[in-house]
Parts: sequence; structure tokens; C-alpha cells
Amino acid sequence: HSAAVSQHDTGTRTIYFNQPLEEQKFLKNEISTGKYNFVTFLPLFLFEQFRKIFNIFFLIICILQQIPGISPTGKYTTIVPLAFILTVAAIKETVEDYKRHKADGAVNNRKVEIFRDGRFVELAWTEVVVGDIVKVVSGKFFPADLVLLSSSEPQAMCYIETANLDGETNLKIRQGLPATSKIQSTEDMLQVRGMIECETPNRNLYSFTGSIKLHDDRLLPLGPDQILLRGAMLRNTKWIYGVVVYTGHESKLMKNANRAPLKMSNVDRTTNMQIWFLMAILLVISLASAIGSEVWKKETTKRWYLNDTGTGAKGFFMELLTFIILYNNLVPISLLVTLEVVKFIQAIFINSDLDMYHEETDTPAMARTSNLNEELGQVKYIFSDKTGTLTENIMEFKKCSIGGVKYGEFGDGYREDCSDRPNSDFYDEAFIENLQTNSQVRDFLTMMSVCHTVVPERASKYQSSSPDENAIVRAARNLGFVFCVRTPTHVVVRANGKEDSYEVLNVLEFNSTRKRMSVIVRAPDGRILLMCKGADNVIYERLSDKSQFLFETENHLRDYAQDGLRTLCFAQAVLDEADYKVWNDTVYYEASTAVIDRDIKLAHAYEAIEKNLFLLGASAIEDKLQQGVPETIATLAKADIKIWVLTGDKQETAINIAYSTHLINNEMALVLLNDSTAEKTKQTMEEAITEIGQEFLRQENEVALVVTGATLQHALHTDLESTFLDLALSCKAVVCCRVSPMQKAMIVELVKKNCQAITLAIGDGANDVSMIQAAHVGVGISGQEGLQAANSSDYSIAQFCYLQKLLLVHGAWNYNRLTKCILFSFYKNICLYLIELWFAFYNGFSGQILFDRWTISFYNVFFTALPPFTLGLFERTCSSKVMLKYPQLYSISQSASKYNAKVFWAMFLNATIHSLMLFYMPAFSLYNEIAFSNGQVGGYLFLGNFVYTFTVFTVCLKAGLESSTWTILTHIAVWGSFAIWLIFFGVYSHVFSILPLGAEMLGQADIVMSSPVFWLGMLLVPPSVLFRDLLWKVFRRRFRKSVVEEVQEMEMENIDPQKTILAAARQSQTDSDLQLQEERGRSGSLRSLQDTNHGYAFSQEEGGVVSQSDLIRQYNTAAQESS
Amino acid sequence: ITEEKTQKHLPDNTAFKQQRLPAWAPILSAKSTLPIFFIVSIAFVPIGVVLLVTSEAVVEFQYDYTDCIINQSSMTQPCTCVINITLGTSMDGNVYAYYGLTNFFQNHRRYVKSRDDNQLFGVHVATTSVSTSCAPYNLFNDNGTIRPIAPCGAIANSMFNDTFTFSQGSAQVPIVRTGIAWPTDYSVKFNNPFPTNDLDQAFSQYAKPSNWQKPVQSLDRNLSTNNGYKNEAFIVWMRTAAFSHFRKPYGILNRVAGYTNGLPSGQYTLLVDYNFPVTAFGGRKRFILSTTSWMGGKNSFLGVAYIVFGGMCFIGGILLTMIHLHARNTREMSLISRLHH
Repeated sequence: HSAAVSQHDTGTRTIYFNQPLEEQKFLKNEISTGKYNFVTFLPLFLFEQFRKIFNIFFLIICILQQIPGISPTGKYTTIVPLAFILTVAAIKETVEDYKRHKADGAVNNRKVEIFRDGRFVELAWTEVVVGDIVKVVSGKFFPADLVLLSSSEPQAMCYIETANLDGETNLKIRQGLPATSKIQSTEDMLQVRGMIECETPNRNLYSFTGSIKLHDDRLLPLGPDQILLRGAMLRNTKWIYGVVVYTGHESKLMKNANRAPLKMSNVDRTTNMQIWFLMAILLVISLASAIGSEVWKKETTKRWYLNDTGTGAKGFFMELLTFIILYNNLVPISLLVTLEVVKFIQAIFINSDLDMYHEETDTPAMARTSNLNEELGQVKYIFSDKTGTLTENIMEFKKCSIGGVKYGEFGDGYREDCSDRPNSDFYDEAFIENLQTNSQVRDFLTMMSVCHTVVPERASKYQSSSPDENAIVRAARNLGFVFCVRTPTHVVVRANGKEDSYEVLNVLEFNSTRKRMSVIVRAPDGRILLMCKGADNVIYERLSDKSQFLFETENHLRDYAQDGLRTLCFAQAVLDEADYKVWNDTVYYEASTAVIDRDIKLAHAYEAIEKNLFLLGASAIEDKLQQGVPETIATLAKADIKIWVLTGDKQETAINIAYSTHLINNEMALVLLNDSTAEKTKQTMEEAITEIGQEFLRQENEVALVVTGATLQHALHTDLESTFLDLALSCKAVVCCRVSPMQKAMIVELVKKNCQAITLAIGDGANDVSMIQAAHVGVGISGQEGLQAANSSDYSIAQFCYLQKLLLVHGAWNYNRLTKCILFSFYKNICLYLIELWFAFYNGFSGQILFDRWTISFYNVFFTALPPFTLGLFERTCSSKVMLKYPQLYSISQSASKYNAKVFWAMFLNATIHSLMLFYMPAFSLYNEIAFSNGQVGGYLFLGNFVYTFTVFTVCLKAGLESSTWTILTHIAVWGSFAIWLIFFGVYSHVFSILPLGAEMLGQADIVMSSPVFWLGMLLVPPSVLFRDLLWKVFRRRFRKSVVEEVQEMEMENIDPQKTILAAARQSQTDSDLQLQEERGRSGSLRSLQDTNHGYAFSQEEGGVVSQSDLIRQYNTAAQESS
Repeated sequence: ITEEKTQKHLPDNTAFKQQRLPAWAPILSAKSTLPIFFIVSIAFVPIGVVLLVTSEAVVEFQYDYTDCIINQSSMTQPCTCVINITLGTSMDGNVYAYYGLTNFFQNHRRYVKSRDDNQLFGVHVATTSVSTSCAPYNLFNDNGTIRPIAPCGAIANSMFNDTFTFSQGSAQVPIVRTGIAWPTDYSVKFNNPFPTNDLDQAFSQYAKPSNWQKPVQSLDRNLSTNNGYKNEAFIVWMRTAAFSHFRKPYGILNRVAGYTNGLPSGQYTLLVDYNFPVTAFGGRKRFILSTTSWMGGKNSFLGVAYIVFGGMCFIGGILLTMIHLHARNTREMSLISRLHH
């Protein structure tokens, strides 16, 4: 086809479009997040596996076993289980990678229209190449980074939603160059030849430099205003044409997506440490045994029956290797694969949880990695994005206050009563009634439908870069004031059956310093009106004495703010014709034509006319929260999880959301960090710290901290870092606004580095990716298309509220299960293989094994393989209902109290005692050797099989004892494992007559089981070994009862456990109650900050490519309205 | 169709996937576990008593004859010693004769593996195919011709070769040397090479182990079938013991005339063909006679262990009862105090 490209070494790439030139290949527009492909699988997989010290260890054992004469267990007894285990791991990897490839495929196969051979054809995203011209329609994502040529809108404008990229709520405007804006059809397209020169792909989202040349015209500059990035979505614009400049992994979005870092959970790290311990123990006992062997050898040159003087004698080092091989199974070979499989199935449990399935979007929860299942049980800090995570990014006009009267207070109730009404969240009978009688209400509604920069679209939809204005206009429409036409000079409002046309004289634009916007219109009755809406404080300053209900309105605003609603005050003034003329012709004219400091001059000009306003009322807009967000936050707080909100959005919006989610409430003092210099930041922080009090630092105080991105830049500087952390950790709620993706990650890193706590980041957009990757656990919100965060996350869920179940149930369960599984795996191996050490004392440290070599090597993979799985998968101390009801139970896993060095060594000691009992009890039982009534005796393997059988049985029972709940599968694992051993024992004892294998074992099963001593031992040994364990459990339940146990019992007895939990909490925090009261007293002076918050928030693009006042002049929707 | 489409990713609502498998959650409280402790103690103590009584009923006689000849010089010169034995009590029922060794490490790794199970299975092994694990007891240089040793290895080479002649007065007590090996060993694991009916020919190409006085085909002069690899004393020796202090069956009292009820008490003479050197490495040798019970020989460990464990369970049960009663009291108290409020 007709695209051609070339890339220079100079750091630019040249793209020819619509030109039949030779093609040079760039990256395909295909993304791949999979780890392997067919070719790389085997080498990469082996590399991954043998990067783990664990597997290397067993590989070394395999190699050592090949040295003739030193292995007490033959040549193949490690390589066979190792191969088995690697196979299982390979299957798991394959399944996981297949899923990733499938997810990539779904993205890669999205459809887009590409200009090929003179017409637009719909093709998959993968077909898009650099130099292609594509047509993207409204509501669709851009398939690659594009240079905007033209659009369906005037002057090649288009709206894009970048929430996915930067988390901002408002839409952005992009505008093509005038030279290309004329391309409006396929026919036009055929005529176009062009060349684009631009930078080589880079990761900077906010910059782009290039130039375009059409035909043989001169070069025209291209900037970020012409670029449409992959990951953004076209909105409110029917279509755009764009030239593809960067594709696939070269797109700016993908350049920003680092390959997901390999995360290791806390439990994994602890386990690794313990494996090292075990290896050290292994080395120590091997050394001791080798020394023992040397000592023994010295004394025994006279043992003529041994061939010590012959070829058999070996040096110390060889002896050492023998013992290392002998004891190598002290490190459980099956542990890693057991964990992998357990985690894999745990992930399936997460994936198939119906409570985390979102019906509307058909999205189940998804564990993208299973490495961190148990980390979910240890989370201490949650860093949450706002837009799209806490909120749905939908604004709804909820309430208003006009003339001191509140409307829409019961707005929620209407849906059931009058579902035939237009779909709006605002409805109030009183409002409708007053509309007829009260002129102020009418004025308010008129202002709602006139004072804005919205452009109407067909089918009563509106386009605007401000979601607030959009909500206001929609609400006005639903109340009968339909804004229907915008021409360059007029807006037309249809109300009460007639159309009123307002001439728009001036638009006094919004920006975040002014916190207000105004329009000056000529009303149909000829009056000149100035309508101004904005933050309460800026409006109140400009009210005339005639304004009424100031106090009431302020009260209402406070109420709204408390609910987290976004408020705007509405005011208007009737301008004197002459005054206006003076202002417009001189003050405004001069300012708007000024060459220097135009913005400042304009602001002054606006200031001059925005005065003597008459307060109409106030609006309250709801930034719709996702389902169940406040409840979830409350529950998580009870689980002692701190939630920090990190958003790219504005401070006001962030504070509003903090209120509406009850993260901040009126009881709390508010600390605002909004300083532009390092010194001032430091000063503010230190003041706040003094206010809180040094002794309360890093404890939870009733203080909320709000920081802006600019200040963070200073606060995160090395000098102030610790001060900032001191302050932030002392606050109950932390809200960071206007933060860049990088800052989000830095905050997470800061806490991660300094708090030794597990962090979780949750977000939905590309701007959250870095934070998601930085945190211990990254959670992405899934469900909407193209949500970049979900793809780089460790877990993705469709709704924020699913976090409750994910953490409190799955996390806590998984932690409990996995740690039990790990401890048990260690336990069972120590139990069996330490017996070899005890036996070594009696066989002259020769390295003789007590058991058959294959029974040893199958111990982990068959006979005791199942119990760890039941512990890892089905262990459950409390039901999910209880876990959710009492979030306090989360603290057990959160504090790692069930798995740490102390627990490990206690287990080690216990296992050592068990192995001693398991060796000596059968040994004493067989002391005189006669184990049968026919006078026959056993041998070493006879004893070995006693010990082995008792050990398998004991270990299985121990797994049962460790299980809080017995499912059918637990029974299968406990009794089944033992049965498997008995069956294997029976079969293996007869193999020698068929195969030259297991000569020593021949007939053992028959002989062993015909010995009464065996059965007597079976009845005695396992119970007496586990006697202490059982008694201990009962005693502990009585004397040091854990909260879990208490809750279990109470649930059984139908007593409300809340009391217990409260009592437990109270006991541990007796002092802090007093502190809390003190704090409330102390924080009085801080709170004053918060009284001024009246919930003002407004978002609109600022400083965009097209100013709002220019924008509205470019539309004439009268034509489409009439058609 | 749309319904199906929108629910494409709906997880399966199965008990397994939703983690709703019916489960039994035992609560290990004092109340629920104390019956277990009492039941176990009630069951185990009597069992222990029975086991102790059973063990006590077994009559065992041991005699350490290591020092009966001080001046033993070499392996090849047979020596004998005569020992007078007095059985204080009669040994009723089957009586088994054992030899016991102490400080003899049959469980040493290089000793244990020094055998060729293939050879013992009855397969003819050539000089090249005899197992290297037998080295250095695998090949014998017979005046220039290298011949494989049958049976090869350190275990076979060091086979216990003292013989006992036990007599009462002038009459020899009849002791049979068969029935002492495991049935599976005898019938499956140990087979003579072809031709099995002519052992001299079968073993003609092999050399005897260097420490042996007689070749393997003529181990038992009295019973021709008890020869070659199928010699039961040999089979017993080949099953290596677990500890350096061990005993192995020597023979069984043939309960013919005079001994139908076992060994009567009285004076006996033990004539030992003293061949097996142990003093060099500080070993001891014993001659043992023992009756058996249903559970084997004399060993009080199991009986004592049962009684001790039963007793511990009883103490545990008492403790738990106390705990339980105390717990109930406190709960009642708190209930009462709650009612008063």
C-alpha cells in the first residue's frame, strides 16, 4: 500500500503518507505482554527456574549424585522428582502465559478504519502501520499515536478523554492544522500527499515536536496539540482523520509501560530466608556427620569386615558430599512447586469469585500474577487513584439552593415513583411548583442553560470540556429549559414552548485562579446580563448589598460540602448599557489585544465588571462515586488499613471526593500543603507537626492532610522527605492532588522504603501504572475498554468495593493458608530427614539410609504431597461472611504473626522432637529384634519401614490437626496420602521378582504388616508424637485465645462477637482513647482551615489549544437543529 | 443470545470454585477434647499391662561367650570351647536359638551395599558382570585365572561362622537350622544358579569368599537342600541388622521326644566351634535362647510406653477437666454479672 517511512540516525523519523514509495518497516502495531513464545519458552523457562537458589541447589545435588560411590541414595533419586516438579512448573507457566497472549490478542484485534487503496477499510489494530491514515470515530480509542489532520468539528477540533492517561476528569481539545483541516472526505484524502518529520519514539506524554509538509508546500510545525495518543479516547467528535506516527510498543503510552517488575511477596522473602537457614543447618549437620565419620574411621581400622582399607575409603570432602546428598531433602524439594500450584489455584478462587464479578461489564476479578496472593493479606497502606477508581467519572446535578431554599434533598427517591421521567438525578416537586411563581428560580434555571461554553450536539447530547457544565446544562434541559442551539453569537434556549435567544456578548473565561466564569449576554428583553458562577468565596466577595439569603446559602453550601458535592455559586447582575459599552470598548478591548501579560490584563478587566452581583443560589453536583466506596473505605479502615488518595485532579475535586467517601469528615482537622517553595513547605509542615505534637507523630491522629503536586515536589526532596513522612503518617487521611504519575510512584516508594509495611496501589488509568508497579501489590480497575492499569496490575477488579473481599477474605485466607502450607512442608521434611541424622549415630556416620532410596525420594512428591495442598487451598479459620463482618480479623495476617522467624524455629524444634520420637520409639520397640511369634527378626530396612510408615501417618495427622476445617478433600489428603503409601509399599515390596529394582524391599510389606509390633506401634507412636501438639492447642485456646478462636466460638454460640473484638481493641488501646480526646481538643486551631471549605469544585480545560470563548464562536448548530 | 453474551465471563457457581465445600470445623476446646484423652488412657493402660505381662512371660537366656578362648590365633584354625549352662526355668513352647553380636556394624553404608542381588537371585555372573558394589570382594585371583566370588561382597565374606552344639548330658538337643529366614527371601530373593539340582556344578566357575572355610554349596553338611544361596543362615545374615548390637536366628528347637513342651530346666552343655573373630574390634558374641509370645520376644518397651502414654493422657484429661470447669465458672460468673447490670 501507499505508505512509506524512513528513520534517520539523527533522532528524527520521516513518514510519508499517501505516497507510493518503498516501504520501510517499523514496529508492528501489536502489543505483547507475554513472557514467552514457542522458541524462547524452553531457554527462558529454564533460566527463570535455575535463577532460583532452590532449584540450583537440587541441580547440584543431582550432579553430585552422579559421582560414583558417594551417593547413599543412588543416581536418579533427585533428578526424577526435580524433573517432575519442573514439569508441573512448566505447565503452570504455559497456562499463565497463554492467558496473557489471549488478552493481548483481544486488544490487538480491535477494529479501526484504515485508508487503503483509496478507501477506508475496517481492519484490526495490528494492521496499522506507521504512515497509515486512520479514521477514528467517537467513543473509540486511538489505535496508535496519531497526528490529527482533520475532524468532523469546525477547524479540525476534537475532544479527547485522557482520564486513562493522566486521570483528569475534563475533556481536552486537540486541533489539527488549518492546512489539513480541509480534508473532509475520502475524495479529499485521495488528493493528499504528505510528509511528516518527527522525533524518534520517546516516553514523554506531554511533548511532541515535528513538522508536516503537504504536497510541496513549506514545512508547518506540529506540536502536542496535534497529537492523539494511544490510550486516549475520542469524545464528542464524530470522527477524525489522523496519520499514524508511532505504533505498538513505540507509542508513548507503551513506552511508559515498563515491563511489570517481578514482585516477590513478603512471605516469599521470609521463606527464602528460611530455606537459607535450612541449607545452613544442612551444611552444619553434614559437617558434623563427616567429622563423626572421620573419628569413627580412626578407631576402626581393625574392623576387618569393612573394606576400609580397600577402595571404599574416601576423603573427608567426599564424605561431606555424601552427607549433603543424604540430608538434602531437609530442604523440601516439592515446596516451590507446591506453592506455585497452590497459588495458581488460589488465583482461580479469586478469578471465579462471584462476589467480585461485575455483571454490568461482565468482568470477573482477575489475578494476573499469582505470586502475591498472600501479600493481599498483609496490606497496611492503600494508595488509590480517584478518577475511575473511587468515582465513575460521571457528574450529576444533584441539588441546588435558590433563594435560601434547598431543592433536590429527596432526589434519590424519584426513580421508583416516576420512572418515566427523563433520566436525571434531580427532581423536586417543590422546584417545579416554584418555577411557576418564583422569578429567582426561573433566573437560576435560565442561567444554568445560558451561562456556559457547552455546545449542543444532536439527540439532545452536549459536548463540553467541562463535565460540570455538561451536568448543569443537562439538568436544565430535564427541568424544561432546553439549551438547543449555539451559533457564533447566540444561544437559544427553549422553555415553556417558546425559544429565547440570548446574544453572547462576552465570555469571561474560567481558570483556577479566578475560580469563576461569566458570560455577558443580551437577554431577549434587551437587558444586558452578567451571569457569573464560581467558588462561593469569590462570588460572595462580589455580591451587592441587595443580595439576600447569604447566610442560608452558605449553610446549604456547607451541608453540600459535607456530602462531598461539588458546589458552584450562581449570581448575576444587570449591566447598564452605557457602562457595559465603556467596559467592552476600552477596558476589555485593551486587555484582549494586549501583547504582554494578556492573561493578567484580562483578569483585571474581568474583575472590573464582575461586581455588584445578585446571588441566585448554588448548585451541587455529584461526582458519582463507584458503588459502595464509602462503605469499603470504612471497612478497610477498621482493618487498620490506611488509605491515601493520589489523584492527578484538582485539589477541590480531591477534597470533595475525600468528603463524599468519608475519608475526611468534619471532626477532622485539615492540613493543607499548597506552597510553592521548599522553605514555605518546610515551614508549613513543621507548624503542622508542632500542632499535632511530637509525641503523637506517626500515630493516627484525627487530621487530614491535603498536598498538591507542586508542593510534593519539595516535600519529596531528600531534605524534607522524613518531615513529610512524619506528618503524613500522623494523619488519618492523606490526599495528594495534581500529582504526576511519577510522583504517585515516588510516594508509594517513600512509604514502602520507610515503613516496612505492605503497600497496595489501585488505579485505572495509564497514569497509575507507575504507582501500581511500584507498590507491593498493584490492583487495576478493569471492565472498561483499554484500561491500561489493569494490564500492568497484579490483580484487576471491576469495582473499588471488591477490594474488601479481595483483601479481607482472599488476602487473609491466602496468607493463612500459604503460611500453614509452607510451615507444614518444612515440618514434614525435617521430621523425616532428621531421622537419618539420628540413625547416623548408630551406623558409624557412614551415610547409610534407614529407608529405601525411592521411598525417600517419593516422600515429597507422592506420600505427603496432598496435605500441604489442603492446607494451602481449603484451610479456613473463619467464613468469608465473618471475615467481612469483622475486618479486625485482618490484623492477624497483616501483622505476620503466624509466620516469622520465631514461628519457624518453634516449628523446627517441634519437628526435631517429633523426629527423635519417631526414630527412637520404633527402635526401642524392636530392640531385641524378635518381632514375630515365629522367632524371626527384622533388619535395618524393617525398622526403616516401621519408622517411615509411622512418620507418614504422623505427618498426615499433623496436617489434619493444623486444619481448622475439614472438607472432603482434607479427608482425602490425610487418609488418602497414607493409603497411597500403603499401596505403594505393598506393590514395591513385590517389584523385585519382576524388575531388578528394590531388592532390599522385597517382601517388606508382608513381613512388616504381619508383625504385631508394627500395629502396636502404629496405635501408639503417632498419637504420642502429636500428644503435646494437641494438648498445646487446647491449652492455648483456653489461656491465650486468639481473636479468631473467640469469634469462631461466639459464632457457634450465636453471641455477637462484636463485643469481643471491641473489648480486645479497647484493651490494646486503652491509652489511645485518652489521647484521642486530647487530640480533639488540641486540633481545634487546625480545624479552622476546614470551616472555609464549601465544596467548590469545577473542572474545565485551561490553557488549551482553543480558548473557551473562541471555541463557542466556531459552532453553528442552528443548521443541524433545523434539519 | 444477548443474555449469554453478556454473561460470557460469569464464573462457575460451583461449590469448589466458590469455596463453599461443606466443611467440618472441629473446635479443639477443653470440653470437646477431654473425652478423647480419657478414652485413650482407659484403652492404653490395660493394653500396656497386657503387653508387659506378655513380655514377662517370655523366657530368654543369654550367654556371652566372647572370652571363652583367649588365645584365638587365626581364622582358619577351628577352635572349640565348652560352656556349661544352667537353665533355671523351663522354656515352654517353641524355643529359638540366636547368636548375638555387639559392636558389629552391619549397618555401615559400604557394608550394606556390598552385595550383588542379581547374583543371589540365581543369575550366573561373569567376571565382568559381577557387581562392582561388591569390590573388593568381587573377584578372586585363582593362580592367574580371575574368577568371580560367589557370593560376592563384604556381607557374605564376613558371614558369621561359629557353630553351636547344644546338648543335655550326652544327648544333643535337636536344633534345626531352617525356618529362620523370611519366606519371601527364601522363595523369591535367593535362588541358586542353574543347574539347581547340582550345586557343585552350578558353583564350579566361582571362587568362595576369602574368609569362608567352605564354599557356598556345602554350608550345611546335614541338609543338602539348605545349601548354596538358599542356605537359611546365609539368607538371615544377608539381611543386615539395624544396629551394631543385634541378634540373628541360629535355629529352632525341634520339639521331638523329650522336648515336646520346649526346653526343660536343668544343666546343658554348649559346644562352640569358635571361628568368628570379634575381639580385634572390641565386639562381643552371645548365645541366646528365647521363647516367644504372640508379639515376638522379650521387650518391655511397648508395654511401658503404652502405660506411660495412657497415664499422660489421663493427666492431660484431668487438666482439661479442671480447665473446662474453671472456664464454665468464669463464664457463668460473667453471665451473672451481666444479668445484674
